[in-house]
Parts: sequence; C-alpha cells; structure tokens
Amino acid sequence: MNMNAVKIIALVSLIAGGCWLFGLGLTVYDQFFHGPTASLSKEIKPKETAVNEQQLHLVALGDSLTRGTGDETGKGYVGYTLDALRKKTKRPIQVTNLAIKGQQSTQLVTQIQKVEVQRQLRQADFVFMTIGGNDLFQGGEALRNFSRARIDEAKKVYLKNLDSVFRTIRAINPRAVVFYIGLYNPFNQLNNAKMTSAIVREWNYASAEVAARYPNIIAVPTYDLFELHVNDYLYSDQFHPNKEGYKLIGERVASLISFSKGGK
Amino acid sequence: MTNLVYNEMLKVVRKKRLLIVASIIAVLVALFTYAQFRHVQDVQKRLGTSDWRTQLQQQIIDTQNRLNSSGLAEEWRKFLQIRLQQQQYYLDHDINPSAPGAPTFMRMFVENSIELFLPLMIMVVVADLVSSEASGGTIKLLLTRPVKRWKVLLSKYIAMLLSVSFIVLLLALLSYLISGAVFGYGGWNLPLLTGFTINGEELNTTNVHLIAQWKYLLVELSLAWFVSVVVGTLTFMLSVLMRSTAAVMGVMLAALISGAILSSMVSSWQSAKYLFMVNLSLTDYISGTAPPITGMTLGFSMSVLAVWGLVALFVSFIVFTKRDVY
Amino acid sequence: MRETLIVQEVRKAIGKKEIIKGLSFTLKEGEVFGFLGPNGAGKTTTIRMLVGLIKPTSGCITICGFDLQRQFSEAIRHIGCIVENPELYPYLSGWENLEHFARMVPNISKERIQEVVELVGLQNRIHDRVRTYSLGMRQRLGIAQALLGKPKVLILDEPTNGLDPVGIREMREFIRFLAEKEGLSVLVSSHLLSEIQLMCDRVAIMAKGQIIRIDTVDNLLKEQARTAWKVEPLEKAKSLLEKETTILAERDGMLITYYEAKKLAEWNDMLVREGIRVSEIHPKLPTLEDLFIELTGGETID
Repeated sequence: MNMNAVKIIALVSLIAGGCWLFGLGLTVYDQFFHGPTASLSKEIKPKETAVNEQQLHLVALGDSLTRGTGDETGKGYVGYTLDALRKKTKRPIQVTNLAIKGQQSTQLVTQIQKVEVQRQLRQADFVFMTIGGNDLFQGGEALRNFSRARIDEAKKVYLKNLDSVFRTIRAINPRAVVFYIGLYNPFNQLNNAKMTSAIVREWNYASAEVAARYPNIIAVPTYDLFELHVNDYLYSDQFHPNKEGYKLIGERVASLISFSKGGK
Repeated sequence: MTNLVYNEMLKVVRKKRLLIVASIIAVLVALFTYAQFRHVQDVQKRLGTSDWRTQLQQQIIDTQNRLNSSGLAEEWRKFLQIRLQQQQYYLDHDINPSAPGAPTFMRMFVENSIELFLPLMIMVVVADLVSSEASGGTIKLLLTRPVKRWKVLLSKYIAMLLSVSFIVLLLALLSYLISGAVFGYGGWNLPLLTGFTINGEELNTTNVHLIAQWKYLLVELSLAWFVSVVVGTLTFMLSVLMRSTAAVMGVMLAALISGAILSSMVSSWQSAKYLFMVNLSLTDYISGTAPPITGMTLGFSMSVLAVWGLVALFVSFIVFTKRDVY
Repeated sequence: MRETLIVQEVRKAIGKKEIIKGLSFTLKEGEVFGFLGPNGAGKTTTIRMLVGLIKPTSGCITICGFDLQRQFSEAIRHIGCIVENPELYPYLSGWENLEHFARMVPNISKERIQEVVELVGLQNRIHDRVRTYSLGMRQRLGIAQALLGKPKVLILDEPTNGLDPVGIREMREFIRFLAEKEGLSVLVSSHLLSEIQLMCDRVAIMAKGQIIRIDTVDNLLKEQARTAWKVEPLEKAKSLLEKETTILAERDGMLITYYEAKKLAEWNDMLVREGIRVSEIHPKLPTLEDLFIELTGGETID
C-alpha cells in the first residue's frame, strides 16, 4: 500500500459518506413527510401463476388435527396420507397445510375468504379438512361441564359455518375432492363415555348431512377407529391422537384416493 | 486540516484495520449466502413449489399456529402478531418481499447486521483511534505540535466518519457482489412496502407506500450509516477516556450485547427506551417490525441516538482539550 | 545571551496535593541545562508542563517570548521534545513517521526531513518500519522528529535511558554539538549525576517538586566533591587533619574531607611528615544521594 491507496480510500470514503448523508435525507423525507396513500389497495391483482398440470395440489384446512398436534414426527394424518399417495402415483405432489391450531369453524369461514387461501383452493386437486373439534369440545370444557343447551347452541353455529365453508370451496373450485374428516370421541374410556359418545355421533351425523348437500365432498369417519383402545391412540394430552392414531386416519383417507382412471 | 485528516487516515489504513473488517464481512457474507441458499432450497423441497405466494402463505399459517401455542412470551406474541399482519399485507397486495436476488440478500444482511455485527465492525476500527496514541505514547508527540488540541481530535473524528462511511460501503458492495454470484445481480426495481406504523398490537397501514428496492436499500444503508456514526462516536468517546484499547472494546462490547439482549426482554421496562443500545435496529421501522418497547418510533430512536452521539462528542472534546497527559 | 525559555513560579496541584511547588528558571541560547533529580522528584511532570501536555495550576511559561498558555501554537513551535521514551508509530517507516509529524507543522519541506535524517545518521534504515529499529535508532529518530521544526529549545527527558555505552557517548556529543554549533538551548533531565556532569553547563537539582539548587556544574562539583583518605594510624591522622579542615565522615577505615585541589598536596605532605602512612588519596564525586543529603540538610531522597 502506498500513499495513493490512503488518498483513494479517503476519497472513496468521502463520496460514500456523502451518499449515505443523502440517503439519510431521503429517509427522513420518505418516512416522515410521505402523505398517506390510499390507492395502494386498488393495485391488487393477484396473478395466476402457471399451474403445472402434472403436479397434484393438496390443500389441508382446519384445526390442530390437520396440523398434526400430538404426532412427534410432525407429520399428522396429512403427512401419512401423502406418504401413501406417493406410493400410488409418480406425479409430484404439492402440499399446502393451512390448518391452524385451535381454529374454530367461525375462524375457518374468515380464513377461506383470504385471497391467497382462495388461490390455493382454486389450484387444489384434493382438500383435506378437520373442523368442529374446538367448537364441540372447547378444549374438553364442554363435555366435562356438560350442558345440552350449550352444545346445541354451538352445533347450530357450527353447522351454519360448515355449510358456508363447503359452499365457498365449491364455488371456488368445483372439481376438487374434499375429504371432511369426522370427529372421534377422545373421552371414550371416561365414566360418562356413553353420553359423550352419543353427542359425538350426533355431531358427526349432522356434519355428514351438510357434506352430502355438495358434490364431491366426502365425510370420512374416524369415530370407529378410536372406539376400541382409544388410549392407545391418544397423545399424552388425552385429546389429540398420537402417531399411531394419525397413521390410522392417514391410512383411511389414503385408501379413498385412487389414480386408476381419469386422474382422480 | 486536510493534512491532519490525511495523517489519521494513513494510520487507519496502515494499521490494516479496514482490511480486517473487509475480510470479516466477506467471510460472513459468503457464509450467510450459503445458508440462505440452503434455506431456499429446503423450503422449495418441503413445499414442493417455488411459488413465493405458497411459501409466504405457509409462513403465515406457521406464525398463526405459533401464536396459538400456549406459554408464548407476551413480547414474542406481539412481535409475531405484527409480523403476521405484515406478511398478510404483502400477500394481499401480491408483493413478494423476498424475491431472490443480490439486492434482496443485501437488504436482509443490512437488517440483520445493523444491531450488532455492523457496530462491532465499527468498534474494531474506532476503538483504538485515540487510545492507541495514549497507550503507545505517541499522544505526547501529537500534542506537542503547533496544532491546537481540538484540531487534532477533530481530524481524528473526521477520519472516524470516513472510516465508518467506508465500512458501510464495504458491507453494501461485498454483500452485493458475493451473494449475487448465487442469487443473481438483478432485482433493483422490485417494489417493496414501507411506512408501516405500529399501534400496540396493530399494524397501521395508512402511510404504507411502495418504493423500489434500490431506494429501500439506500434508506436502510443510510440508517445503518447513521447507527454506525453514533456507535462510532460513542466508541470514540471511550477511546478518548481510556488508555487501554481492550477496555474500550470491552465496554462497547458489553453495551452492544446487552442491547441485543435487552431488546428482547425490556417491553415492560419503559425507560429502557432511552438507552442507545435498544435503539439500534432502525431498519425495523422501515420494514415494519415491532419495536422492543411500545411507543418507540423511527423519529424517537433517531433522536435518542443523536442525543447520545452529541453528548459523547461533547464529552470527547471537553476531556481531550482539558486533560493533562501523563 | 538571549533567554529562550523562562519559567516563573510554576505550580501544579493534583487535588489538594501540590506536586510541583513553585519552579522558576531560565534557559539561555546555546547552553545545555541539566535537570537532575531522583525518580519521582517531579522532573517529568515539569517537562510535560514545559511542552504543554499538562497545564500548570499557576505560574507562567514563556518560550521565545510567547506565553505557552495563551499562544500555544506560536510557543510550542519553538520547542522540540522527547518526553520519556521516543515512542513513534511502529507500523510506519521512519520516513513516514517524520512525514507524519512534518504535516502537522507548516512549511516543512522534504529537504528538511532529509536534512534531519542525515543529522542523526539514519539514512540507511529510514525506510524500514520503526518496529524493526533498535532502541538507539528509535532515540535518534525521536531526536530527528524533535528537530524537524527547527526549534530554539530542545527538551530531552532521560535521553540516554536504555542506550549502550557507545550510544550514550554519541548522544552526549550530539547534544553538545546541537548546543554549541546550532545554538539551541537544550534541557536534559536525568537521575544520574555523572551524565549531567559530562554534558551540561548548568544544572538544576530537583527534589520533592522543588528546585533546591541551580548552579553551574563546575561550582556544584567544586563545592560538593570530597576527598577520601586511606591513612594509618587513623586516629592520629584524624586529629592532624582536623586542624586543617573538617572531617566530614569516617567510612570503611577512610576519612572524608572537602575536596580542595590546591591544598591536597600540602595536607598530604604534612601527614607524611608526621609519620602517617598514606596509602590512598582520591577525590570522590558526590553521589546524587550525598548531594541531596547535603542540600536538603539530611533528608533522604524520598
């Protein structure tokens, strides 16, 4: 390094310093004196990306069950279904899991109004969903402090929401197959099992009725899977399924899908 | 004065500090570029798509799930909540905040280094600016020239400003050149959103507007420069006050690291917002991340930093011109 | 002879403790002035005040007619100094160091730098890094740096510290040369009397922040030199000598008297006549310690 290097560095630094100072002025102008912009929201125009025809799109909606809470591998039934599907087809599969823990039916109704969620649904070939568990059990509270009237009230709201969800999905995407996965009774081995079981059965029945109003929406029962040995399939919170439980659900869902003809 | 500044720059350059800083930045940028590259690949593999909307949507869902977990610290919750709203805003407006490219990497690198890494680099250069003269004894020669003391110190301060400007430039250039090799050199005109303000847990979007990425970068880099100048001035003061460069570095390091720690836990200690070290993340205000303490704004943080810097400058000059040199 | 440096009643207090208690002295053109005192006497503090590194609490320092406090730049311009060790930038070459300091003084040409380099004899190594210099070379570079601005007053703090005997002699000769040929006033501090004796014209003796004596070296030595007598029998010799002069002390079987060159032979003659065996007579330079004990009336150095 000779003397010139020092001069060059000093000069470059000086220019850089001027540049940063100018930037600071710009920052102050941009951040403090920028008028409100109302026009931005009008600019939205989500472009459809070119859909890879070969690719299968799988969208999962709902609550902690779809999320996979309780499965230490994190896969959940969506993961196990996917594993099974990958054995059945060579086509690449893209999974978008939009499930949110603790989500109730009302929130799901709002969620599927979102632009991007709808875009995902539009591309979907299959939709998996679980919903209602939180409406009914409210974390187990509802069944322990049992009140028929409250459950009926919850059920009414839930059924209305479920109908709305199904209708929205069908409106966005008429061809996707929707698998609505029903509830099981996690309290099957508690002393008031008889009563809770009855409630879950009724709940499932009513949900299946709603599903039946729309084409290609299939209500998948899980009640029977957990009926015997429920504790073997439950996670330590005695509410969510464990890995084995999720495997059961995954196997059942996967068994409903075949790619033999027509792609679906 | 030019002669004096030239002297100081000569010393900075010949001590090879700038070279050290440049190599550290280069190594780190290379490291982060690789990490980022792996991350992008991993996300693509996991989601089976390179569609950024799907990726962003997935991030939103992940955040929502985290929000619903129990036992989440209140500050963290708030942070996630605001980031969630922002991500949703980007998604709703069909803008990809992390479109691949060197400018995007640069932006992320600046945002992540403004709080700790960049100040550390500044410290490496500035810490011994005055203290080395004291510990090396050369201060005696320096102050027995027919030059007033304040001029000697001013020349050093100007050399500090030049070095800081140079380091920020190095950071920008190196991160652009190195990451560009992997992510490509384009993306200067990508539109980005700025002007978010935060009211409690809500993201206020009334002032949000689009600016091109190059402008966004200029804004962020100049804020990084501002932070660096303030940190430089504080280090400069310590360098005047203490003979030992190691002590200067120690104190500064403690302050910076405590700042990084405090930022994540001071939300209930209101008056901590007057500490300079929790105000370093100026770029957070541009990108709209929640500040560590409610009520902090860009204007506030810049004022706090400016006051600290001015006081430090004042103290430096008073002490340096008045002090007896033993 | 003109006076180049005038120090009047300079005091320095740190807190309540006064460490420099009213110094006054002057330096004349072309003389080497010694500053003698043990470590901790306040030499370095005084020197630092002379070059503006420490502000005196009170008093006045004038350099070539300029007040150091009020006209710092004009005053300091006439001073060249090395305070303590010649500390330079080790990562720069000798030449760059000189250039560095030259830039801080108006109107110093490359030729002037070359001139001082040749003056101190560093031509061969001047473009090497200072890191690689020996202590002697650093000392010389330090002097070159001090001479750059053509000062009228040169202040050197312990200039022979750490030098080997040859280096010390060179330095001494060089300092004499600067004073005699270049007409500089040189202020040299030291804690070694022998060194001061060899190069200084006048000397100030400092102890505990005060100048206890300023005089020419000759006078000081004359007054303070002693003669040691190795004689036998001791008691008889003692009584005989006491008639002529004062016996100051009796140490290791020797008698100590004042040193009076003219009378020495006479006394010796007298002793021999009285049958006393004189086996040794030698003049003894006072040690610094002796001087202090003498000048301060028995107080120790610290």
